[in-house]
Amino acid sequence: MATDNPNADGFGEVSRVRGIAFEYLSFGASVFGLVALGVLLVYVAIDAFDLANASPEWLLTYFLTLVGPFLAFCLYSANDPEVTRRALGALGGGLVVVAALFSAIEAFVAPIPRLNWQLAYLFVVAAPTTAYLAYVGSRGRLGAVGFGLLGRLVGGVAIGLAVGTLFLVFDALLWFLAYTLGVLPAVGLYAFGRVRSAPRARTAAAPVGLVGLTAAVFLRDVVATYPSDLIIYLWTIAVPVAAAGALLVADRSGRTAGVLVGGLPLAVATAGGFLAAGAGLPAPTVLLVLVLTGVPTAAYVSRVVDVGEGVVGLALPFLLAAGVIVGALIVEALGVPAPDPWLDASYLTEAPSRTPSEAGLYPAIVGSVIIIAMVAVLSFALGVGTSVFLEEYTPESGPLGTLTRILQVNVANLAAVPSVVYGLLGLGLFANLLGLGIGTAVTAALTLSLLILPITIISAQEAIRSVPDDLRRGSDAMGATRWQTTKNVVLPEAMPGILTGTILALGRAIGETAPLIMIGAATTVFRAPDSLFSRFSAMPMQIYTWAGFPQADFRYGVVAAGVITLLIILVGMNGSAILLRNRAERGS
Amino acid sequence: MTDSTESPDLTRRGGLTRLKEGTYGGLFAACAAITLLTTAAIFVTLLSDAVVFFRSISIVEFLTGTNWSPNPAGGGQAFGIIPLLIGTLTVTFTAALISIPIGTLTAIYLSEYATPNARSILKPLLEILAGIPTVVYGYFALVYITPALKATLFPEMSTFNALAASIMVGIMTIPMVSSISEDAMSAVPDELRQAGYGLGATKFEVSTGIVVPASISGIASSYILAVSRAIGETMIVVVAMGAQARMPEIQEAAFGIPFINPADVLLESGMTITVAMVQITGGDLTGGTLPYNSMFALGLALFAVTLVMNVISDIIAQRYREEY
Repeated sequence: MATDNPNADGFGEVSRVRGIAFEYLSFGASVFGLVALGVLLVYVAIDAFDLANASPEWLLTYFLTLVGPFLAFCLYSANDPEVTRRALGALGGGLVVVAALFSAIEAFVAPIPRLNWQLAYLFVVAAPTTAYLAYVGSRGRLGAVGFGLLGRLVGGVAIGLAVGTLFLVFDALLWFLAYTLGVLPAVGLYAFGRVRSAPRARTAAAPVGLVGLTAAVFLRDVVATYPSDLIIYLWTIAVPVAAAGALLVADRSGRTAGVLVGGLPLAVATAGGFLAAGAGLPAPTVLLVLVLTGVPTAAYVSRVVDVGEGVVGLALPFLLAAGVIVGALIVEALGVPAPDPWLDASYLTEAPSRTPSEAGLYPAIVGSVIIIAMVAVLSFALGVGTSVFLEEYTPESGPLGTLTRILQVNVANLAAVPSVVYGLLGLGLFANLLGLGIGTAVTAALTLSLLILPITIISAQEAIRSVPDDLRRGSDAMGATRWQTTKNVVLPEAMPGILTGTILALGRAIGETAPLIMIGAATTVFRAPDSLFSRFSAMPMQIYTWAGFPQADFRYGVVAAGVITLLIILVGMNGSAILLRNRAERGS
Repeated sequence: MTDSTESPDLTRRGGLTRLKEGTYGGLFAACAAITLLTTAAIFVTLLSDAVVFFRSISIVEFLTGTNWSPNPAGGGQAFGIIPLLIGTLTVTFTAALISIPIGTLTAIYLSEYATPNARSILKPLLEILAGIPTVVYGYFALVYITPALKATLFPEMSTFNALAASIMVGIMTIPMVSSISEDAMSAVPDELRQAGYGLGATKFEVSTGIVVPASISGIASSYILAVSRAIGETMIVVVAMGAQARMPEIQEAAFGIPFINPADVLLESGMTITVAMVQITGGDLTGGTLPYNSMFALGLALFAVTLVMNVISDIIAQRYREEY
């Protein structure tokens, strides 16, 4: 750096002011968008959770019972005096600075609407510090175990709810037949072939499965009596999941552990399912949530106990749950006025309404889940197929190379087509010409699949390209055909990257609104869709509709809650995509 | 990952294997063909209805008309694209005023000034800006930005206005400018920077005098992409800008020079091409009517403009790239 040289006097002077000003200007520019977004998100969170009406006592109670123990856990896991000092310094110093600054602005400049210094402290100091400590803590063994358990619990609940939602639309009876006649025999044959190394049995698996599926479709209307829904889910999902978990664990740490890991959650889930049926709750969903949460959790606990490191970390979920309960008890006992959040359980489980306090997002959430599930299958299959074709099957030069280049340019251009135009395509082609219906879930899923297909292809191509060529050559040298190389070497290596890209693209699809408007998706539906051809609404669609309502309660309350719900789902999806990528990077 | 238990098959491949190979190859080719079919389908869908539209409304009338009212209450439809173009240009231009300087400065900071640590944090965070659903941005503009602007700078602003929407479109497109420009700047070889330092240039002079000119083709192509994204942006403007196709009042300044007061356009509601399309879907969607077909004509215009801009940006990036 010429300007830093203290011996430069002899060469004349260079002013550093301009350079320093420019550096800070460019730094300011790069955080401008982020700060703007951050402020908007703070406001929308305050509106959704009604934090403007939260009394300081309420905030303090939960800060002490929930956030405090969590921070202590992270600090204990990080086990680094430097981090502890820094964190406590930030929390303590931040309190003084924020309170002083905030009061000064309020006194001398202008009052800041719907914000007090406690909230400012919460969002400006406490939230970033917590995020930082969670990051640092998760790198310790203890924290990794705690967050791993927490992640499995939350992920299991989310997947269980999503699967339960899908069966609102897809025919459970057909699935029962298909599973019993097709999937189960095929998997059984394949596993038998694998274990006994009988290649014939493995080859036979696919045809047997196909025959079974066909038979299921034919028998669907012939069979008159079916077991109850709960038994179907128990037989087709809960038992296989438990069995898979049990087999995995038995392989690793012995038969007893395997039986425990499979059997215990299955028993709990079955009991929970029947109890829920008695209590009038949706029993199948309860069963699914319990088993899909229980089995991975139990498998994880068994592994942690086996390894014997950071077992204390397993206490994290209990710590958080205890924090919530104790906080609620204290609030109740002291009679502290609590905020009345818009985003609560009834918001997520009830239909939209004209009165803001009764409005809910449930049908829209169901619509979104169903569309995204279909989009995921379609765009994943098409995206992987296209990218494999472009990367593995076409030459780079020659006349076929030209075709590859054309395809490549075409994909790049498709990625830049505005989403409304895809909406027009869906309206003109799928809804009207092919007669799939205006505003149906199928039309929406096809349209959105085409919309995110270019993004999926581009990221899948990158993942396939990053597989080292040595692996391909090695496989070729063993006499593998191109498909065998692709199936056995390239796809397994590239799969984490492909999945990451697909999930990120799905995040784009879940927030798209313009194509849904163009294909005539309903602005508001009061019942969850019950078939693929029923009219549906989706979360962004509902947000769009409500944003147009003039009442302040809708604008600042109901929509804010919807926005937060959508963003939480987005963060969850993108977060799992990033975790997947990090894990794959660490593994290779 | 091949099974070690399988004994190597050194005989000539059987018909079954060859059939399997061909089937999978064909399947993948079919997937790839779908992407081509999508482009073709977009063209055909847009063209077929647009052609029907242009049979009733001449292209000249469409391109020069100053009145847009596809579903008037009293009759007398009019399909003039000029008011929509004014709306689209207003939003695009204002958004570019935000995204281009900020995005360029961000790119310079990331590629020249930021420590590797700061870059690894800032880059994914900036991508978040492009990942937020646009309807959420529209909601922000309507519910937070407009009241804030009204309370501070422009008390006479209307609830639905172009300015708040443009600001949000600008913020959303910052990462498009910054990430592509940053890629171009990072590709400038270090020798050029070192040579600059060797001549006694300061870091500021190297950044603005060497790195930026050397990567100007990438920077320009990022601008075009960001502008094309802003043109096609729908939900932010639909939610925050309202839906009034208006011609701004043309005023006369000194010496009779006509001008348009920017406040007339920015602080009032307006209508972009995309908003006009969304507006029509409120009516009949089964096809056959003139407004339905006009939607496809607008879509064709939008598709053509964005396609041309992408091709231009591609050409600039390819042809005028400095090879090192």
